[in-house]
Amino acid sequence: MISGKKLVLEFSVSQNASEKVTGGAIVIRDASQTTLLVLLVVLSVSALLRRRLGIPFTVAIYLPYLWIFALAFTVTEFVSFEIGIWILVALCFLALREYFTLVDLRIQDRWGMLAAYLAIPFMFYFISIDWYGMFIISIPIWAFLVVPFAITLGGREAEGSVLSIGAIDVGLFLLVYCIGHIGYLTFYSTWMAVFLVTAVVVCDLFAYVLKSRERAALPGIALQILIPAPVTIILALALAPWTGIPLRHLMILALLIPFLVAIGCHTITHLETDLGIDRSRIPSGHGRILNSLKSFLYAAPVAFHYLRYNLDAW
Amino acid sequence: MDFRSDLFSLPVLIHVLVIRPLLKLVFGVSVEGRENLAELERFVLVANHNSHLDVFLLFHILPLRQLRRTHPVAAYEYFARSKILLRLVSFLFQPVWIVREGREKDPLKGMRERLEQGHNLVIFPEGTRGEAGKIASFKTGVGQLAVEYPALPIVPVYLVGPERAFPKASSFPVPLWNRVIVGPPLLFTGKKKEITTALARMIWELAESEAASRHKRIRRPRVVTTLAVLGIDGSGKSTLAMGLARRLSRDARICLISDEVVFFEGGSQREVQLLLMERLREAIGRRAKTAGSLKSYKIPKLTELLLRDRIVEEVRRWYAPDAIVMDGAPLLNITAWARLYRDEDFDESICASILRILAGRDDEIGKGDPVFDTFPELVTLKRFYLARLELPDAVLFLDVDPAVSMGRIRSRGDKQQVHETEEKLRRLREGYRLVCKVANRDLQVPTQTLDGHLGIQAVVDHALHALEGMSGPKLDHLRELGG
Repeated sequence: MISGKKLVLEFSVSQNASEKVTGGAIVIRDASQTTLLVLLVVLSVSALLRRRLGIPFTVAIYLPYLWIFALAFTVTEFVSFEIGIWILVALCFLALREYFTLVDLRIQDRWGMLAAYLAIPFMFYFISIDWYGMFIISIPIWAFLVVPFAITLGGREAEGSVLSIGAIDVGLFLLVYCIGHIGYLTFYSTWMAVFLVTAVVVCDLFAYVLKSRERAALPGIALQILIPAPVTIILALALAPWTGIPLRHLMILALLIPFLVAIGCHTITHLETDLGIDRSRIPSGHGRILNSLKSFLYAAPVAFHYLRYNLDAW
Repeated sequence: MDFRSDLFSLPVLIHVLVIRPLLKLVFGVSVEGRENLAELERFVLVANHNSHLDVFLLFHILPLRQLRRTHPVAAYEYFARSKILLRLVSFLFQPVWIVREGREKDPLKGMRERLEQGHNLVIFPEGTRGEAGKIASFKTGVGQLAVEYPALPIVPVYLVGPERAFPKASSFPVPLWNRVIVGPPLLFTGKKKEITTALARMIWELAESEAASRHKRIRRPRVVTTLAVLGIDGSGKSTLAMGLARRLSRDARICLISDEVVFFEGGSQREVQLLLMERLREAIGRRAKTAGSLKSYKIPKLTELLLRDRIVEEVRRWYAPDAIVMDGAPLLNITAWARLYRDEDFDESICASILRILAGRDDEIGKGDPVFDTFPELVTLKRFYLARLELPDAVLFLDVDPAVSMGRIRSRGDKQQVHETEEKLRRLREGYRLVCKVANRDLQVPTQTLDGHLGIQAVVDHALHALEGMSGPKLDHLRELGG
């Protein structure tokens, strides 16, 4: 079942290093690992001190989730990929729980929600054993078939079932399937995932400065794409040796990611408005995770599939 | 009481180290208004009850020192079914048991004892877990306590989330966030029934404000009431429409469609994005006003009126007001103008037919009806699907003597439009009167004639009074908004 996709890793300096962990002691092998550790420490400190540092509200609620990514990548790099990925499972659970709280679901959709929660470990298991074919159909085939069935178990009342199934499926797709692609990316190369997350964060910060992250406004999108692009290109140049991916593909991604972030952010902001999320004041459990992750949701799967397609061919 | 020995007792440790983290990890708890509780030494928590999670959530928000000094009121029979459950609940929460099959004559006795000790209570006045998402009627026990202990603060709490995370009829919980909204502490004076009702209303209000921002899958379609103000030129109908819109907007979102489209909310004007259709209408309206003869006036005016009718639809779609106040109603205006052009053929039955045709309610009018021979324009309008004009929900006709209105027009000093002569206005006035009469009789539109010779303030008051007296489902809806 386990396909030999690890061939890509031949190019990854960092991944080779992580396999040489000896006797339970964590050994720092090279600059890339040091950088990752420093990133995690900086994020931890700023997440803990976010009140003291006077970080603006929208950026502050962003930090814990960024920290979860950093933790997952660090664990992947220093301990193992199989454990690192379960941190993303927790993130998906939190995100899905919050989404289900926000969306108007009926009492009898409880079985459907339960099935959706169970779909998270189901999908991540196939990532952890690198069974790509099963991962890619785990949500769109299995979960999407099981959820409607589970909903019928909840009660005989049929009215509203179609909308319930749709609402649960959207949550599963965006908050589990799309995030899962970041997990699979760490399998190929941790630094590729780090590059993706950092590039998205750069775009987000620019969007925050341009104030367009708060509104579902189209005119801002052109600026959101154009302004961060030089920074993401510099980032790609800097990280290219660590990611183990040819520079030309990284360059294309560096141009693609701002576009995907802008489109994704615009779309999810639209959904947020419908869900009743007030972006100037988000109580915990009322859309913080969705608001923090929204920029990743379009960028992650597209970047993953772009790489997978091109690296396989190459 | 020594708090410190309390803090390290086993139940408190279980609460702090097991129950609280589990609640946060599995379900998620967000608390609003925690500060309302932090400073209080003595209190009675009153909350809605939908789930077994409720009592855990209420203990989640208690300050540590209060954990062993707070007692939920619980029904003994329910928990007595299982000895382990009874012991566990007694161990963790130290409840005040209410025995329903009463050897005890006074159910409040246990609660009083605890309050006398200086301890606090958690009361679910609904008595038992209610239906998901609904607040059942409150029992008056809590009101009785408030009467007996007037200095004891009562804190209303609204719990939302448990009814979905672990509803009454369900065998398993599902991870979903819970929200605890703590209201301000209250002191009551009065009778026990009044106090209970006031508390129920408090919690209901907390529920309402929480629900307002929630995602609702199916929204009730917005009811838009249309009010038309009719009158000949110079009768002051534009001023009346403006005044009426401003006054109604104190309780509702009102859009005024006059020479320009104005949106009112909270008694004052609000900026809205311009409609493209509105720009077009303005341009055509200007052309009509400068026309040299009735003949060259006719087509631009008709176009303007038809566009004005489209704008009603646009306003409804983009601005979503509660009511639209129209300065003139295109349907009624066109019909009344027919009189100006074709005085000799115009009578009540023809007027009724024209109204029906233009409003798109012409099921019983055949193609060969003589009205189409008299007014061939109707055939054209029907052919281009333009005969679906808005029939207002209420009509106010501002009646003014043409001589007076001519005086007003002259004093404005603007260039006079072609139809603004006393003789033509007199005919127009007759036309409006007839149309109002027919609309009221045949199309069941409530109409009211107002005396336009009074001052503007008096006319607006009359108009509001007239609206009060009219009936119709949409008008009733508008009245409800006004309270």
